[in-house]
Amino acid sequence: MINNNVMLVEGNRLYLEQLSNIIRETETVTLVARFRDAKDALGQGMVFTPNIILLDADTPNIMNLLEEFHQAYPHADIICTGEKWSAESSSLYVNAGAKCFLVKPFSSEELLDAIFAFSKPATGGKDAKVMTFFSPKGKSGKTTLIANLAMAISRKTNASVGIIDADLQFGDMAFFFNLKPQSTIVEAARDTDFLSPVSLNSYFVPVAKNVSILCGTKEPSLIDKVSIHSLETIIDMARTMFQYVLIDVPAGFNPTSIAAAEMADTTYIVTMLNGGYEVQHIQRSLDIFSTWPDYRERVKIILTRVEPCTITAKQEMEEIIGYPVAGIIPNAYLDVATAADDGRMALDLKPNSPLSQRINYLAGKITKKKQDNDDDF
Amino acid sequence: MAEEQINGVIITFFSTASAVGKTLISINMASELAREGYSVCLADFDLQFGDIRNYLRLTPEYTITDLCDSIKADSGNSLMPMLTTYAYEGVSFQVIPNPTKLEEAYNLSPETIIDVLKNLRMQYDYIIVDTTSMFSVLNLALLDISTIVTFLGIVDFIPTIKNMKIGNETLHTLNYDSNKIRLVLNRSDSKTHIQLKDVVSILGEDFYHILHNDFISARESIATGIPLVLNGQESELTQELRALVARYTNKGYKTMEPQKKNSWLSKIFS
Repeated sequence: MINNNVMLVEGNRLYLEQLSNIIRETETVTLVARFRDAKDALGQGMVFTPNIILLDADTPNIMNLLEEFHQAYPHADIICTGEKWSAESSSLYVNAGAKCFLVKPFSSEELLDAIFAFSKPATGGKDAKVMTFFSPKGKSGKTTLIANLAMAISRKTNASVGIIDADLQFGDMAFFFNLKPQSTIVEAARDTDFLSPVSLNSYFVPVAKNVSILCGTKEPSLIDKVSIHSLETIIDMARTMFQYVLIDVPAGFNPTSIAAAEMADTTYIVTMLNGGYEVQHIQRSLDIFSTWPDYRERVKIILTRVEPCTITAKQEMEEIIGYPVAGIIPNAYLDVATAADDGRMALDLKPNSPLSQRINYLAGKITKKKQDNDDDF
Repeated sequence: MAEEQINGVIITFFSTASAVGKTLISINMASELAREGYSVCLADFDLQFGDIRNYLRLTPEYTITDLCDSIKADSGNSLMPMLTTYAYEGVSFQVIPNPTKLEEAYNLSPETIIDVLKNLRMQYDYIIVDTTSMFSVLNLALLDISTIVTFLGIVDFIPTIKNMKIGNETLHTLNYDSNKIRLVLNRSDSKTHIQLKDVVSILGEDFYHILHNDFISARESIATGIPLVLNGQESELTQELRALVARYTNKGYKTMEPQKKNSWLSKIFS
């Protein structure tokens, strides 16, 4: 077993004591050295051969220090600690070689999470893809799509995938995975001011290898407990925790769906074809999104319950809507319903069904390194 | 003076599951009431993506946005000339269409919309309101002002039923009179693994009225833009819609008890 030899660098005297005690109480971790002065740690710490360095990010000149520590301890993981997480500074630290950011004071669990959890597949950062799934009206098939797409992406690439159920009144994601979560987006939102991506991780419920979910509210009145600001912070953090983040939002344009769409790299307009006025709804939505100068790159359309689910049908819809269609999903109501009623994924149920094939195709498109507009269907 | 005014009945169609048929049923209820001679106003308060104007092929000159502007201007002018008339073979009613531009929908204040309703309820026997499927500020205000709230459900897969249950429970927490909230089941026998009795048992409540699944008639009605109760085809669904209206207007619909003999309801409830 590898020893976790921690060197603590902490400028604040009180924190130095408090954090030292926490580290000493944490199993499988040894506090080998501690310094208040970062320069001392650089010069003297070497003799203790730490492989984990907790570095106080509230120290002046932290960016230069990070580089120096990195050179002095090339084999050690550097975990930045600070009183408050921010997306901007945190990504600066990570880009400068830090492994992650931990809000202090942290608990033993959080410390262990920081040490171990992030040894999993490469996490997000600036290459992470955040996708918001918007639908004009409810009953679009987007929850099914997101759940299955997340599984397909992770299977295809082994990447870490996070789902955020921000459909704040009637989110169904927990249901689709048969979860009875202890913590949901409500608790995460409540705690955002004290959280970092490492600690937020524990609010996500793992559902498969590399796929985890931040579940939605348990009852509609809790919508008020999730402020837009905290939702934005959660999305910011999720971007550093996962390579792919899929966000489910309430139907229509509302503060939640707008905030999530603004923060996403791609917003999918998901609509189920039911023989109603879906085309008008999509066009009405596109009118709003077209206020973004780059909306043609950022906004894509996915149609569900398309029968027959053929390239001709897709092209016809593109013609009618007057906008490219990124993906079409066939009608698989009974498969999906059976799967959802049992808390399973439709992909698991019938891996070779047309539904699974279309979802796998979409997952391939999303995970492709170089984006192209080839219509290979 | 006050005695000359009518204080119209406001019937709101609400649901916490989407695509349950709120629009189709509210249009048919408005049509049936109008056919029976009542003065009726149908309001599309799915402000962003309402479909009443699409369904009835309306090209309105004024929408709820204009009505709100007029109320705010406090001109004292009647709002009625700003409503859009729908007429089919001698039957007509007035419509408040949703905004033409989506961004208008986003900026309308719920208080002003309620003021519009308060004003119009003096002019109509019935105001039928179509809504969105969530507990928004507007919807909560609409529930408050309504005489009757029809909470629509369908037999669907479990996530939908879960949302119906949560919605129904939330409605109960609002402490309305039990008479005010009426649970109506639409598309009761649609293709799913879930049985009606499962839904009743999950909700812990019987349905006040049940409409059976008639996808073909419904789709044809949407395709032609003619409400079911006006298109001259007396399908089972049409009759059930008329029966629902009869119950709402207390016009002596006989099978108040669901267990009435020969009713297909009795088979389901037995």
